[in-house]
Amino acid sequence: MNKTFLRLSGIVALTALAQGARSELKWEQTSVDLKPALGDKQAVAHFKYENVGNTPVHFKSVHASCGCTTAQTQNEQVAPGQKGEITATFNIGGRTGIQVKTVTVQTDDPDPAHATTVLTLKAAITPLLEIQPALVYWQNGEEPKPKIITAKANKDAAIKKLDVTSSTSDFTAKVDAGSAPNEFKINVQPRDTTKAVYATLTIKPDSPSTANVFSAAARVMPPPPTTKSTLSTIRHDLATPAATAASPSQ
Amino acid sequence: MKVSAVRQALLLIVLALVPAIGEAIYFRNKVSWQSPVPGSELVTVVQARSWGDNVIWVDARPDNEFERDHIPGAILLNEDSWNELLPQFLGQWSPEKRVVVYCSAQSCNASREVAKRLRDEAQLKNVFVLDGGWEGWLKLNR
Repeated sequence: MNKTFLRLSGIVALTALAQGARSELKWEQTSVDLKPALGDKQAVAHFKYENVGNTPVHFKSVHASCGCTTAQTQNEQVAPGQKGEITATFNIGGRTGIQVKTVTVQTDDPDPAHATTVLTLKAAITPLLEIQPALVYWQNGEEPKPKIITAKANKDAAIKKLDVTSSTSDFTAKVDAGSAPNEFKINVQPRDTTKAVYATLTIKPDSPSTANVFSAAARVMPPPPTTKSTLSTIRHDLATPAATAASPSQ
Repeated sequence: MKVSAVRQALLLIVLALVPAIGEAIYFRNKVSWQSPVPGSELVTVVQARSWGDNVIWVDARPDNEFERDHIPGAILLNEDSWNELLPQFLGQWSPEKRVVVYCSAQSCNASREVAKRLRDEAQLKNVFVLDGGWEGWLKLNR
Protein backbone atom coordinates (compact mmCIF):
# COMPACT_ATOMS: atom_id res chain seq x y z
CA MET A 1 0.00 0.00 0.00
CA ASN A 2 1.48 3.33 -0.92
CA LYS A 3 0.76 6.83 0.35
CA THR A 4 -1.77 7.69 -2.38
CA PHE A 5 -3.94 4.71 -1.50
CA LEU A 6 -3.71 5.45 2.20
CA ARG A 7 -4.79 9.05 1.57
CA LEU A 8 -7.77 7.97 -0.55
CA SER A 9 -8.79 5.39 2.03
CA GLY A 10 -8.50 8.04 4.72
CA ILE A 11 -10.81 10.39 2.80
CA VAL A 12 -13.38 7.61 2.38
CA ALA A 13 -13.20 6.70 6.06
CA LEU A 14 -13.46 10.33 7.25
CA THR A 15 -16.41 10.96 4.97
CA ALA A 16 -18.16 7.89 6.37
CA LEU A 17 -17.43 8.99 9.96
CA ALA A 18 -18.67 12.50 9.27
CA GLN A 19 -21.91 11.16 7.85
CA GLY A 20 -22.44 8.87 10.83
CA ALA A 21 -22.00 11.68 13.33
CA ARG A 22 -24.47 14.05 11.67
CA SER A 23 -27.98 14.51 13.00
CA GLU A 24 -30.76 13.08 10.92
CA LEU A 25 -34.29 11.75 10.88
CA LYS A 26 -34.50 8.00 11.16
CA TRP A 27 -37.66 6.62 9.59
CA GLU A 28 -39.33 3.55 11.03
CA GLN A 29 -40.45 2.76 7.48
CA THR A 30 -40.55 4.71 4.26
CA SER A 31 -43.03 2.44 2.50
CA VAL A 32 -46.49 1.42 3.72
CA ASP A 33 -48.82 -1.13 2.13
CA LEU A 34 -52.52 -0.55 2.76
CA LYS A 35 -55.59 -2.58 1.93
CA PRO A 36 -58.64 -0.37 2.35
CA ALA A 37 -61.95 -2.08 3.05
CA LEU A 38 -64.62 -2.20 0.34
CA GLY A 39 -66.22 1.18 -0.08
CA ASP A 40 -63.61 3.08 1.98
CA LYS A 41 -63.22 6.68 0.86
CA GLN A 42 -59.70 7.17 2.21
CA ALA A 43 -56.53 5.24 2.99
CA VAL A 44 -54.29 6.67 5.69
CA ALA A 45 -50.60 5.85 6.17
CA HIS A 46 -48.47 6.82 9.18
CA PHE A 47 -44.75 7.31 8.63
CA LYS A 48 -42.97 7.43 11.98
CA TYR A 49 -39.61 9.08 12.50
CA GLU A 50 -37.11 9.93 15.21
CA ASN A 51 -34.35 12.51 15.27
CA VAL A 52 -31.37 10.34 16.12
CA GLY A 53 -28.90 13.21 15.96
CA ASN A 54 -27.95 15.90 18.44
CA THR A 55 -29.23 18.97 16.60
CA PRO A 56 -32.81 19.90 15.66
CA VAL A 57 -34.16 19.01 12.22
CA HIS A 58 -36.57 21.32 10.41
CA PHE A 59 -39.05 20.28 7.73
CA LYS A 60 -38.63 22.51 4.70
CA SER A 61 -41.42 20.98 2.64
CA VAL A 62 -43.74 17.99 2.53
CA HIS A 63 -45.10 17.45 -0.95
CA ALA A 64 -47.49 14.74 -2.19
CA SER A 65 -47.16 13.33 -5.70
CA CYS A 66 -50.77 14.00 -6.62
CA GLY A 67 -53.70 16.19 -5.61
CA CYS A 68 -55.47 13.07 -4.33
CA THR A 69 -53.03 12.77 -1.42
CA THR A 70 -52.46 15.13 1.47
CA ALA A 71 -49.62 14.91 3.98
CA GLN A 72 -49.33 16.48 7.41
CA THR A 73 -46.45 16.83 9.83
CA GLN A 74 -46.98 17.02 13.59
CA ASN A 75 -44.24 19.58 14.11
CA GLU A 76 -42.15 21.83 11.91
CA GLN A 77 -39.11 21.23 14.08
CA VAL A 78 -37.94 17.92 15.51
CA ALA A 79 -35.71 18.17 18.56
CA PRO A 80 -32.90 15.64 19.16
CA GLY A 81 -34.43 12.40 20.37
CA GLN A 82 -37.95 13.53 19.53
CA LYS A 83 -40.33 11.15 17.74
CA GLY A 84 -43.20 12.00 15.47
CA GLU A 85 -45.00 10.99 12.33
CA ILE A 86 -46.15 12.22 8.96
CA THR A 87 -49.70 11.28 8.13
CA ALA A 88 -50.49 10.74 4.46
CA THR A 89 -54.15 10.60 3.51
CA PHE A 90 -55.01 9.22 0.10
CA ASN A 91 -58.49 10.07 -1.18
CA ILE A 92 -59.50 7.01 -3.14
CA GLY A 93 -62.24 8.61 -5.25
CA GLY A 94 -63.09 6.34 -8.15
CA ARG A 95 -59.69 4.67 -8.33
CA THR A 96 -59.22 0.92 -8.41
CA GLY A 97 -56.29 -1.50 -8.51
CA ILE A 98 -52.83 -0.92 -7.09
CA GLN A 99 -52.29 2.76 -6.40
CA VAL A 100 -48.84 4.05 -5.54
CA LYS A 101 -48.58 7.58 -4.16
CA THR A 102 -45.47 9.27 -2.84
CA VAL A 103 -44.78 12.04 -0.37
CA THR A 104 -41.46 13.86 -0.72
CA VAL A 105 -40.11 15.24 2.54
CA GLN A 106 -37.35 17.81 2.58
CA THR A 107 -35.45 18.76 5.72
CA ASP A 108 -32.62 21.19 6.41
CA ASP A 109 -30.08 18.38 6.63
CA PRO A 110 -26.98 19.73 4.83
CA ASP A 111 -26.33 16.36 3.21
CA PRO A 112 -28.56 16.12 0.10
CA ALA A 113 -28.72 12.34 0.46
CA HIS A 114 -30.43 12.72 3.85
CA ALA A 115 -32.26 15.96 3.22
CA THR A 116 -34.80 14.39 0.89
CA THR A 117 -36.84 11.32 1.76
CA VAL A 118 -39.50 9.80 -0.46
CA LEU A 119 -42.29 8.10 1.48
CA THR A 120 -44.35 5.59 -0.48
CA LEU A 121 -47.97 4.68 0.15
CA LYS A 122 -49.19 1.66 -1.74
CA ALA A 123 -52.91 0.89 -1.62
CA ALA A 124 -54.63 -2.12 -3.15
CA ILE A 125 -58.16 -1.01 -3.96
CA THR A 126 -60.60 -3.73 -4.78
CA PRO A 127 -63.63 -2.56 -6.71
CA LEU A 128 -67.02 -3.51 -5.34
CA LEU A 129 -68.35 -3.94 -8.84
CA GLU A 130 -66.56 -4.28 -12.18
CA ILE A 131 -68.72 -3.05 -15.05
CA GLN A 132 -67.87 -3.85 -18.66
CA PRO A 133 -68.44 -2.21 -20.98
CA ALA A 134 -69.35 1.08 -19.36
CA LEU A 135 -70.99 2.13 -22.63
CA VAL A 136 -73.36 0.35 -24.99
CA TYR A 137 -74.39 2.14 -28.15
CA TRP A 138 -76.32 1.66 -31.34
CA GLN A 139 -75.68 3.34 -34.65
CA ASN A 140 -78.55 5.41 -35.92
CA GLY A 141 -81.02 3.11 -37.65
CA GLU A 142 -79.40 -0.08 -36.31
CA GLU A 143 -81.75 -2.88 -35.27
CA PRO A 144 -82.68 -2.17 -31.61
CA LYS A 145 -81.46 -5.51 -30.26
CA PRO A 146 -80.49 -5.73 -26.58
CA LYS A 147 -76.83 -5.31 -25.67
CA ILE A 148 -75.28 -6.70 -22.54
CA ILE A 149 -73.29 -5.00 -19.80
CA THR A 150 -71.59 -7.43 -17.43
CA ALA A 151 -71.31 -6.49 -13.77
CA LYS A 152 -68.95 -8.63 -11.72
CA ALA A 153 -69.37 -8.23 -7.96
CA ASN A 154 -66.58 -8.59 -5.44
CA LYS A 155 -66.85 -11.92 -3.63
CA ASP A 156 -66.54 -10.28 -0.21
CA ALA A 157 -69.34 -7.81 -0.88
CA ALA A 158 -72.17 -10.39 -0.74
CA ILE A 159 -74.16 -8.66 -3.47
CA LYS A 160 -77.30 -10.58 -4.29
CA LYS A 161 -79.21 -8.03 -6.29
CA LEU A 162 -78.62 -5.07 -8.60
CA ASP A 163 -81.05 -2.26 -9.29
CA VAL A 164 -80.49 -0.60 -12.63
CA THR A 165 -82.25 2.65 -13.49
CA SER A 166 -82.21 4.41 -16.83
CA SER A 167 -82.28 8.20 -16.70
CA THR A 168 -84.68 8.31 -19.63
CA SER A 169 -87.50 6.12 -20.89
CA ASP A 170 -85.65 5.65 -24.21
CA PHE A 171 -83.93 2.55 -22.87
CA THR A 172 -85.03 -0.44 -20.85
CA ALA A 173 -82.65 -2.33 -18.60
CA LYS A 174 -83.23 -5.84 -17.32
CA VAL A 175 -80.90 -7.67 -14.95
CA ASP A 176 -80.27 -11.41 -15.16
CA ALA A 177 -77.95 -13.66 -13.23
CA GLY A 178 -74.62 -14.16 -14.99
CA SER A 179 -72.67 -17.34 -15.66
CA ALA A 180 -70.68 -17.04 -12.41
CA PRO A 181 -72.12 -16.71 -8.87
CA ASN A 182 -71.11 -13.06 -8.50
CA GLU A 183 -71.94 -11.99 -12.02
CA PHE A 184 -74.92 -10.08 -13.41
CA LYS A 185 -75.94 -9.45 -16.99
CA ILE A 186 -77.65 -6.13 -17.65
CA ASN A 187 -79.66 -6.30 -20.88
CA VAL A 188 -80.04 -2.81 -22.28
CA GLN A 189 -82.37 -2.11 -25.18
CA PRO A 190 -83.35 1.11 -26.94
CA ARG A 191 -86.99 1.66 -27.83
CA ASP A 192 -86.07 3.36 -31.09
CA THR A 193 -82.81 3.87 -32.94
CA THR A 194 -83.94 6.49 -35.42
CA LYS A 195 -83.17 9.41 -33.14
CA ALA A 196 -80.07 10.21 -31.11
CA VAL A 197 -80.70 9.53 -27.44
CA TYR A 198 -78.55 9.12 -24.38
CA ALA A 199 -79.19 7.73 -20.92
CA THR A 200 -77.19 7.22 -17.80
CA LEU A 201 -77.70 3.82 -16.25
CA THR A 202 -77.48 4.01 -12.47
CA ILE A 203 -76.41 0.67 -11.01
CA LYS A 204 -77.10 0.16 -7.34
CA PRO A 205 -75.89 -3.00 -5.61
CA ASP A 206 -77.63 -4.19 -2.46
CA SER A 207 -74.32 -4.52 -0.63
CA PRO A 208 -74.56 -4.10 3.15
CA SER A 209 -70.95 -2.89 3.29
CA THR A 210 -71.34 0.21 1.14
CA ALA A 211 -73.88 2.57 -0.35
CA ASN A 212 -71.81 3.06 -3.53
CA VAL A 213 -73.66 3.69 -6.76
CA PHE A 214 -72.15 2.91 -10.15
CA SER A 215 -72.86 4.20 -13.62
CA ALA A 216 -72.86 3.10 -17.22
CA ALA A 217 -74.21 4.76 -20.33
CA ALA A 218 -76.43 3.84 -23.25
CA ARG A 219 -76.62 5.78 -26.49
CA VAL A 220 -78.15 5.83 -29.90
CA MET A 221 -75.64 7.70 -32.00
CA PRO A 222 -76.63 10.65 -34.17
CA PRO A 223 -77.00 10.07 -37.91
CA PRO A 224 -73.90 10.75 -40.01
CA PRO A 225 -72.84 14.41 -39.71
CA THR A 226 -74.94 16.95 -41.54
CA THR A 227 -74.84 20.73 -41.40
CA LYS A 228 -76.67 20.83 -38.10
CA SER A 229 -74.97 20.04 -34.79
CA THR A 230 -75.98 16.56 -33.81
CA LEU A 231 -75.01 16.82 -30.17
CA SER A 232 -77.85 19.23 -29.51
CA THR A 233 -80.37 16.56 -30.43
CA ILE A 234 -79.26 14.28 -27.63
CA ARG A 235 -81.77 14.14 -24.88
CA HIS A 236 -80.19 13.88 -21.52
CA ASP A 237 -82.47 14.07 -18.56
CA LEU A 238 -80.75 12.82 -15.40
CA ALA A 239 -83.43 14.20 -13.15
CA THR A 240 -86.30 11.94 -14.18
CA PRO A 241 -85.51 8.26 -13.89
CA ALA A 242 -88.04 6.43 -15.95
CA ALA A 243 -87.21 2.80 -16.36
CA THR A 244 -86.15 0.63 -13.46
CA ALA A 245 -85.11 -2.98 -13.52
CA ALA A 246 -84.31 -5.19 -10.61
CA SER A 247 -82.30 -8.36 -10.73
CA PRO A 248 -83.65 -11.65 -9.48
CA SER A 249 -82.31 -12.58 -6.07
CA GLN A 250 -79.60 -15.17 -6.18
CA MET B 1 3.21 2.92 -10.46
CA LYS B 2 0.49 2.98 -13.16
CA VAL B 3 -0.50 -0.62 -12.53
CA SER B 4 -0.70 0.06 -8.83
CA ALA B 5 -2.94 3.12 -9.36
CA VAL B 6 -5.29 1.11 -11.59
CA ARG B 7 -5.44 -1.66 -9.00
CA GLN B 8 -6.24 0.81 -6.24
CA ALA B 9 -8.91 2.50 -8.36
CA LEU B 10 -10.49 -0.89 -9.06
CA LEU B 11 -10.42 -1.69 -5.36
CA LEU B 12 -12.23 1.56 -4.54
CA ILE B 13 -14.81 0.86 -7.26
CA VAL B 14 -15.46 -2.58 -5.80
CA LEU B 15 -15.81 -1.03 -2.32
CA ALA B 16 -18.35 1.47 -3.69
CA LEU B 17 -20.23 -1.29 -5.50
CA VAL B 18 -21.05 -3.15 -2.28
CA PRO B 19 -23.45 -0.49 -0.85
CA ALA B 20 -24.70 0.29 -4.37
CA ILE B 21 -25.79 -3.32 -4.87
CA GLY B 22 -27.36 -3.31 -1.41
CA GLU B 23 -29.36 -0.19 -2.26
CA ALA B 24 -30.46 -1.65 -5.58
CA ILE B 25 -31.82 -4.70 -3.78
CA TYR B 26 -33.41 -2.72 -0.93
CA PHE B 27 -35.12 -0.25 -3.27
CA ARG B 28 -36.05 -2.76 -5.96
CA ASN B 29 -39.74 -1.82 -5.59
CA LYS B 30 -39.06 1.88 -5.76
CA VAL B 31 -41.82 3.70 -7.57
CA SER B 32 -41.19 4.64 -11.14
CA TRP B 33 -42.47 8.11 -11.92
CA GLN B 34 -44.04 7.05 -15.13
CA SER B 35 -45.66 3.83 -16.17
CA PRO B 36 -44.40 2.82 -19.59
CA VAL B 37 -46.63 3.94 -22.42
CA PRO B 38 -46.31 2.36 -25.82
CA GLY B 39 -45.22 4.91 -28.41
CA SER B 40 -48.35 4.27 -30.44
CA GLU B 41 -50.52 5.60 -27.58
CA LEU B 42 -48.58 8.84 -27.18
CA VAL B 43 -49.44 11.79 -29.35
CA THR B 44 -47.72 15.15 -29.58
CA VAL B 45 -49.56 18.47 -29.37
CA VAL B 46 -48.78 19.14 -33.03
CA GLN B 47 -50.15 15.76 -34.13
CA ALA B 48 -53.31 16.11 -32.05
CA ARG B 49 -53.93 19.61 -33.34
CA SER B 50 -53.56 18.38 -36.91
CA TRP B 51 -56.61 16.15 -36.31
CA GLY B 52 -58.69 19.34 -36.06
CA ASP B 53 -62.29 18.80 -35.02
CA ASN B 54 -61.90 15.04 -34.93
CA VAL B 55 -60.47 15.16 -31.43
CA ILE B 56 -62.18 14.94 -28.06
CA TRP B 57 -59.86 16.42 -25.44
CA VAL B 58 -60.11 14.81 -22.01
CA ASP B 59 -58.71 16.63 -18.99
CA ALA B 60 -57.60 14.12 -16.34
CA ARG B 61 -56.43 16.75 -13.84
CA PRO B 62 -58.22 17.54 -10.56
CA ASP B 63 -61.41 19.64 -10.73
CA ASN B 64 -59.79 22.84 -9.45
CA GLU B 65 -57.04 22.78 -12.09
CA PHE B 66 -59.60 22.17 -14.82
CA GLU B 67 -61.72 25.06 -13.56
CA ARG B 68 -58.71 27.37 -13.58
CA ASP B 69 -57.94 26.69 -17.22
CA HIS B 70 -58.10 23.90 -19.78
CA ILE B 71 -57.84 23.17 -23.48
CA PRO B 72 -60.87 24.75 -25.16
CA GLY B 73 -63.69 22.21 -25.42
CA ALA B 74 -62.00 19.68 -23.12
CA ILE B 75 -64.16 17.38 -21.02
CA LEU B 76 -63.27 16.83 -17.37
CA LEU B 77 -62.71 13.16 -16.53
CA ASN B 78 -60.55 12.34 -13.54
CA GLU B 79 -60.37 9.42 -11.16
CA ASP B 80 -61.39 11.55 -8.17
CA SER B 81 -64.99 11.48 -9.43
CA TRP B 82 -64.83 8.69 -11.98
CA ASN B 83 -68.34 7.32 -11.44
CA GLU B 84 -69.91 10.74 -11.80
CA LEU B 85 -67.81 12.06 -14.69
CA LEU B 86 -67.59 8.97 -16.90
CA PRO B 87 -71.27 9.03 -17.99
CA GLN B 88 -70.97 12.73 -18.83
CA PHE B 89 -67.98 12.02 -21.04
CA LEU B 90 -69.66 9.03 -22.70
CA GLY B 91 -72.62 11.25 -23.56
CA GLN B 92 -70.31 13.40 -25.68
CA TRP B 93 -68.08 10.69 -27.08
CA SER B 94 -68.28 9.87 -30.76
CA PRO B 95 -66.86 6.71 -32.40
CA GLU B 96 -65.47 8.72 -35.33
CA LYS B 97 -63.37 10.92 -33.11
CA ARG B 98 -60.03 10.33 -31.44
CA VAL B 99 -59.78 10.80 -27.71
CA VAL B 100 -56.70 12.60 -26.38
CA VAL B 101 -56.20 12.52 -22.61
CA TYR B 102 -53.90 14.94 -20.83
CA CYS B 103 -52.80 15.74 -17.29
CA SER B 104 -50.53 18.44 -15.86
CA ALA B 105 -47.13 17.67 -17.31
CA GLN B 106 -44.83 15.07 -18.73
CA SER B 107 -44.28 13.54 -15.31
CA CYS B 108 -47.91 13.03 -14.27
CA ASN B 109 -49.58 9.67 -14.54
CA ALA B 110 -53.29 10.51 -14.43
CA SER B 111 -53.69 10.72 -18.21
CA ARG B 112 -52.23 7.25 -18.64
CA GLU B 113 -54.54 5.82 -16.00
CA VAL B 114 -57.63 7.48 -17.47
CA ALA B 115 -56.71 6.42 -21.01
CA LYS B 116 -56.23 2.84 -19.84
CA ARG B 117 -59.62 2.79 -18.10
CA LEU B 118 -61.36 4.20 -21.16
CA ARG B 119 -59.87 1.41 -23.24
CA ASP B 120 -60.54 -1.34 -20.67
CA GLU B 121 -63.80 -0.34 -19.02
CA ALA B 122 -65.58 1.59 -21.76
CA GLN B 123 -63.84 -0.47 -24.48
CA LEU B 124 -63.15 2.64 -26.54
CA LYS B 125 -60.66 2.62 -29.38
CA ASN B 126 -58.47 5.48 -30.57
CA VAL B 127 -57.59 6.71 -27.10
CA PHE B 128 -54.28 8.57 -26.88
CA VAL B 129 -52.16 10.24 -24.22
CA LEU B 130 -50.89 13.77 -24.85
CA ASP B 131 -47.11 13.89 -24.66
CA GLY B 132 -46.11 16.77 -22.36
CA GLY B 133 -49.62 17.22 -21.01
CA TRP B 134 -51.19 20.59 -20.24
CA GLU B 135 -47.76 22.23 -19.93
CA GLY B 136 -46.80 21.00 -23.37
CA TRP B 137 -50.03 22.35 -24.83
CA LEU B 138 -49.50 25.71 -23.13
CA LYS B 139 -46.00 26.06 -24.56
CA LEU B 140 -47.32 25.84 -28.10
CA ASN B 141 -50.55 27.74 -27.63
CA ARG B 142 -49.90 30.68 -25.33
